[in-house]
Amino acid sequence: MNLFRLSATALLAAALFPTVASHAAAPQPSAADLAFYEQTVKPILAGACFECHSHEAKKFKGGLALDSTAAILKGGDTGPAVVPGDVEKSLLIKAIRYTDADLQMPPKNKKLGSDQIAALEKWVKLGAPMPESGKQVVRGKITEQDRQWWAFVPVRKPVVPAVSGQQSAGSNPIDAFILQKLAAAQLKPSPAADRATLARRVHFDLTGLPPTPFELDQFLTDKSAAAYEKLVDRLLASPRYGEKWARHWLDLVRYAESDGYKADDYRQHAWRYRDYVVKSLNADKPYAQFITEQLAGDELYFNAKPEARNPDHLVATGYFRAGIYEYNNRDVRGQWQRIIEDITDTSADVFLGVGLQCARCHDHKFDPLLQKDYYRFQAFFAPLLPREDLVVATPAERAAHDEKLAKWETATADIRAEIEKLLAQAKKNAIAGALEKFIEDIRVDMSKPVAERTPYEHQIAELAYRQVTYEFDKLDAKLKGEPKERLIALRKKLTEFDSLKPAALPPLFGATDVGPVAPVTYLSKGKSKEAIAPGHLSVLDPKDVQVAALRNSTGRRRELARWLTAPENPLTARVMVNRLWQGHFGRGLAANASDFGKLGEKPSHPELLDWLAATFVESGWSLKAMHRLMVTSATYRQTSANSEFASAQRFDPDNRLLSHFPIRRLEAEQIRDAVLAATGELKLEPAGGPGTDQLTPRRSIYSKWLRNAPNPLLNVFDLAEPFQSVAQRNVTTTPPQALLLLNSQMMLRHARAFAKRLEEEHPSSDEDMVNAAYRLAFSREPRPIERSSALQFLTEQKQRLGAKGSQDKARGFAAEKMPYRDGVAAVVSPDMGGDALAVPDSPSFPTGDFTIEANILARTVDATAAVRTIAAKWSGDSKKPGWGFALTGDGSRRKPRTLVLQIMGVKQDGSFGEDAIFSDQVLALAKPYAVAATVKLATATTPGEVVFYVKDLSNDDEPLSVAKVPHKITGGFTNPLALNLGGRAGKGGGFDGMLDDVRFSTGALKQEELLLGAEASVTEATVGLWPFESKPSAFKDATKHANDIQLKPTGAKATASARAAAVADLCHVLLNANEFVYID
Amino acid sequence: MKKYGCNQVNWAFSRRDFLTRTGGGFGAVALSSLLAENPLTAAPTAPVNSPLAPRLGHYAAKAKSVIFLFMEGGPSHLDTFDPKESLKKHAGKPLPPSFTKGLITAMGEYNSPIFPDQRQWKQHGQGGLWISDWCKHVAESADDIAVLRSCWANGIVHSNGVCQMNTGSILAGRPSLGAWVSYGLGTLNQNLPAFVAMQDNNGTVVNGPRNWGAGFMPAVYQGTRILPGNEPIANLNTPEGVSDEQQRAKLDFLNTVNRQHAAARPQQSELDARIAAYELAFRMQAEAPETVDLSKETEATKKLYGMDDSVAAPFGRMCLLSRRLVERGVRFVQLYSGAGSKWDAHSGIEKNHGDRFRETDQPVAGLLKDLKSRGLLDSTLVIWGGEFGRTPMSEKGNGRDHNPTGFTMWMAGGGVKGGQVIGTTDEFGLHAVEDRLHVHDLHATILHLLGINHEQLVYSYKGRPERATMNEGEIYRRITG
Repeated sequence: MNLFRLSATALLAAALFPTVASHAAAPQPSAADLAFYEQTVKPILAGACFECHSHEAKKFKGGLALDSTAAILKGGDTGPAVVPGDVEKSLLIKAIRYTDADLQMPPKNKKLGSDQIAALEKWVKLGAPMPESGKQVVRGKITEQDRQWWAFVPVRKPVVPAVSGQQSAGSNPIDAFILQKLAAAQLKPSPAADRATLARRVHFDLTGLPPTPFELDQFLTDKSAAAYEKLVDRLLASPRYGEKWARHWLDLVRYAESDGYKADDYRQHAWRYRDYVVKSLNADKPYAQFITEQLAGDELYFNAKPEARNPDHLVATGYFRAGIYEYNNRDVRGQWQRIIEDITDTSADVFLGVGLQCARCHDHKFDPLLQKDYYRFQAFFAPLLPREDLVVATPAERAAHDEKLAKWETATADIRAEIEKLLAQAKKNAIAGALEKFIEDIRVDMSKPVAERTPYEHQIAELAYRQVTYEFDKLDAKLKGEPKERLIALRKKLTEFDSLKPAALPPLFGATDVGPVAPVTYLSKGKSKEAIAPGHLSVLDPKDVQVAALRNSTGRRRELARWLTAPENPLTARVMVNRLWQGHFGRGLAANASDFGKLGEKPSHPELLDWLAATFVESGWSLKAMHRLMVTSATYRQTSANSEFASAQRFDPDNRLLSHFPIRRLEAEQIRDAVLAATGELKLEPAGGPGTDQLTPRRSIYSKWLRNAPNPLLNVFDLAEPFQSVAQRNVTTTPPQALLLLNSQMMLRHARAFAKRLEEEHPSSDEDMVNAAYRLAFSREPRPIERSSALQFLTEQKQRLGAKGSQDKARGFAAEKMPYRDGVAAVVSPDMGGDALAVPDSPSFPTGDFTIEANILARTVDATAAVRTIAAKWSGDSKKPGWGFALTGDGSRRKPRTLVLQIMGVKQDGSFGEDAIFSDQVLALAKPYAVAATVKLATATTPGEVVFYVKDLSNDDEPLSVAKVPHKITGGFTNPLALNLGGRAGKGGGFDGMLDDVRFSTGALKQEELLLGAEASVTEATVGLWPFESKPSAFKDATKHANDIQLKPTGAKATASARAAAVADLCHVLLNANEFVYID
Repeated sequence: MKKYGCNQVNWAFSRRDFLTRTGGGFGAVALSSLLAENPLTAAPTAPVNSPLAPRLGHYAAKAKSVIFLFMEGGPSHLDTFDPKESLKKHAGKPLPPSFTKGLITAMGEYNSPIFPDQRQWKQHGQGGLWISDWCKHVAESADDIAVLRSCWANGIVHSNGVCQMNTGSILAGRPSLGAWVSYGLGTLNQNLPAFVAMQDNNGTVVNGPRNWGAGFMPAVYQGTRILPGNEPIANLNTPEGVSDEQQRAKLDFLNTVNRQHAAARPQQSELDARIAAYELAFRMQAEAPETVDLSKETEATKKLYGMDDSVAAPFGRMCLLSRRLVERGVRFVQLYSGAGSKWDAHSGIEKNHGDRFRETDQPVAGLLKDLKSRGLLDSTLVIWGGEFGRTPMSEKGNGRDHNPTGFTMWMAGGGVKGGQVIGTTDEFGLHAVEDRLHVHDLHATILHLLGINHEQLVYSYKGRPERATMNEGEIYRRITG
């Protein structure tokens, strides 16, 4: 039998437990045999036999049951089913082989596969091992042996072993434990790494960034004995520390900022939880407090005196909101169940570090975790209610806000009442339409007065009602004609009172309990179900937990936090110090950081783990104290190049004993951050706040974290998929990584920025530049041979590029992938100048009706009323003919962030002037849209019409928004100016963000002729299509008209650019080098 | 050689000695293949120990490759492969309450009237399969097709359904079937991705690229999107404005820098792995464009795939590409028709499905015929279907809502016995009744045809033995006859 990937757990079990070579019926089957039964044999029996032959099914056809050893040996009417160890004498085997026409099982020509038959033969040969009870592994109870499993016994601080000799300077108790094991294996530790290597290592480990040349010098020139310890303290005190280590926590809690279903809506306020984590770590908040706030922040908050309430406690409950959510799922109960299961599974992984998820459907097969335990644990979370109606503010902030708001409300009461009246019908329709989509039961829950709902009904009704309120944002768009104009006028009038209006208090994205009474948690057993009270893992504490309800809360989660953070809890501290160890040494002392069970591999240094756990609690749960302890150990300071590598390889191929420091590839964020640091683009301030797009050179933790559109660079380097808790990231080495680092426009852009920095900071000589490049990329000086090969490369590359004429023209734009789109888009910014992407005037351009389309992503809009141009044939002077298609600024008199088409031409009355045509469709920032405007000109007697189309490219469910707006322009807008993409001919008006697939067509196209996000294509009407793809050329028009983008003449700069390009190539190579992405 | 934890995957082999001996570097190796006339023969042999090295299955496989034709949005079974007289008989009436008890549909259409199909039906082939006129081209291959009428799934909305059809779970986070196959069997061509996804338009397939993601498995097993246009794989081309000569010089210098770095670290095989990945990237750069270049295909072949018809051409091109990919050893090809739920016929199913079939029927039929005539159908499993079917009840008068409780898929080639119908739905086509095939059963069966026992293909994650079929699923052995 070719078990090329024999179940890993079987192998693991074989490695963990001494194997008993049993060819006869062994009274005590080995764990490996049992694993073989559970994983291979039982599925076959369950699939093919148990239906008719088992206790579970209560069917004993032919008197035979196959789900216990006793029953199998007893056999059925024809005798024992199995003779252990004897394949040929076993009736079971005979039957499944189908060799005897009278004995064929499973019957009715459903012969098993040859692989299945082989597996059962092997099983019989092994003696037909089965678990004792025979039936399903129904543990039901916990044995004393279970309680003795290393992870469940209380932590006792072991004595630090006395180790003779070889202690190197700066060693601490960690080293004693490590040396003891090394000595036992006849291995020696490695000498300390050189100081530059160590500095780079510890900088990345504690802050996620390389040392700056200044920081490196500071350390290297500090000759004091405690120089390294000082460096460690400095790094731990740096705000960058929290930014680095928060990422690990966010992986664990599967944090992201979007919904993660078909619709991947951005969660405006999720980032506050991310900032909470960063802030907590930077403050060295005791870990016990840190987890208590996340598990029960709302209970802490509402049970404190109002003046003592800490809004951060509410923010911490964002922990419960980090999972995925589907905004239009009609199966409300099903979705709620999945949300609670997701929270249960994640919390077990994060806080308990055991594989409780297995116990959702059955008692854990190898660990003493009962199915009941799963539901006992779930009962802590069952009362949750997602909340967005609370605010994150201190009482004083709230009072000030409310006072101001009351004034605004009074001043605007009439206006708001009229708006409400205008929208009343639309709102009624929206509610009715949304309700209709639910089944009767759900509607019943929703229609009940809140006071009459059970806690569970309230949870369901509230969850369902989100789908109703979701429609409310779209009400404005439902109005047409006169009421619409009135509404716009009213909204505008409302803004006149903006000075009275207080800034909105930040809304919470968190959770509380549904109330003091919990909904019942059930464990389903076949058709019956059992009500389950909250409780802890039975192996640790079998009693049900009695919790006194709080005012608005069950108090259950506070109790859970209390238990988790009690000093005697054997899991919490062990799990966390092990995660920290993994962060510094690449793998945990217990290798499966979120599974301390029997399948998770025993710790390599159990005493050290316990010593660390005990020390952690003693230190008042200080994470920074643990980091300090670990990174100041001699073990951590070892070199990665072990001179005695051969013997280490032989005795300890995985380096579990740490005879040298393990070389490590940087994680995804560290690679991006290190690129930005080397090139000088990195902006460390402001730290925190809403997530920004991938172009903004902030630390990656502050990038928008979209589940369905991850940053391409981070993604290719094994970003954790934020769908379930990730305790350890994959580390892969793949061709797409190489392609992205080498060929993407993004990396070329970074390389040019790096080169520019070198030229600015080290203009004196190539040699200086090479030295600096090495310092910035690798945190060290180049060796002479490296310097000379770099200089040689520079010289030759300059000649090559100079001879050919510079290929590296001053490019009009950078290219990047637009989220949710393929290929690349042009990245434009206002500082590029309006004519950076200029298409010279062409006779093919329309002089009458026309259509302009594009895919856009706006990073910002202007803070004033000024527009940001998508495309224009105009100078910006409203007295001169032309047109511009743009996005309005936040201060727009009409409406902010809406599309506008300005046309300067001849109006219906024959006069020349401007008509600014607004679409009133509000666009969100940093979101990809397909937009279009079709322009039908007016005649002397009939008004013209512009139809605006907006399609949200991140959410297919979102209907296409269409706005038809009349206008007065009859023509006369033509001019000899270039068509500018992302800008206009004159000053200002430049777009900030991404543009893609810009298409310019003759005539006012019909809806079905528009692209609206579809694959860009050319028709007879198309006079220009600019897809910005690098092949055949980013500047080429895809139509037959060859209306290519003309690059700006580069003038004097061209002569200097051969050198600049060669330096950029050097930089690009260094950013691709192994040394850049690996730390020693 | 160093062992890796299951989360560490590298092309770990000592290539450095070879490179040092021959005096070349990876740049030289890569470019020799890049510049060679025939990259197929010039490409060096696959690196040993690649996580994608070809592996044997648990038993002799019927199929070597899979082409999964995913009709995204949910094609109707009632108008294509599962005709129901009752729809006409009870047209306009609601379903009997016994059918709708506890039924939740995506758009709440449980009380809507029954909507009869408007198709012409005929029996086709020796097996006499009932196939509607929407699939008249595919019907010509009826005797190669096994129609699975009794499929069912758990997700009532697209994201759940698409996620489950790809990964087994309605919730995100698990590896897709293609990733499991790559993990289990590796690939037969190291110069191309093992697992390829394509879509017929630039919209976003529901859930985005995670449909072909590796979930908790390492990224080497994930699908690679083949893009239309001149750059089939993201960042495959030397960037615009960089000459070949310039690029080559950069690669040579990169090689120098990496060798200087590695010299002091003789034992670090990770570094070799990364050098190898760059080599592979460049072999891909040579082979992928040739693979997607259809200029050498005859006009007759293109016509067979409907490429002379502008409506069918985009999907026809993808189908033809799939044949070229499996010919070159790609293990799993997934094509999305109607990317962005364009099969989702809540209203106007006549136009919606009519359009979709005009886009896909001839290309799919062409693929079956072409594979067969080249002797590739036996070793290629072709799967057709969506994330669910559609309801017998109408929506908005002329459309159908989502129906995951009973729907049709079909399979052809790869050992599947054609001309047979498997399973049934109830008289209205709402629920699968006989030989019910859950998505896990489909996955178990697909893996089985590839020579993999789904119970034995295990990936250990967080201490849990994970399987493609999530410890469920049964092989439907009758599919091979």
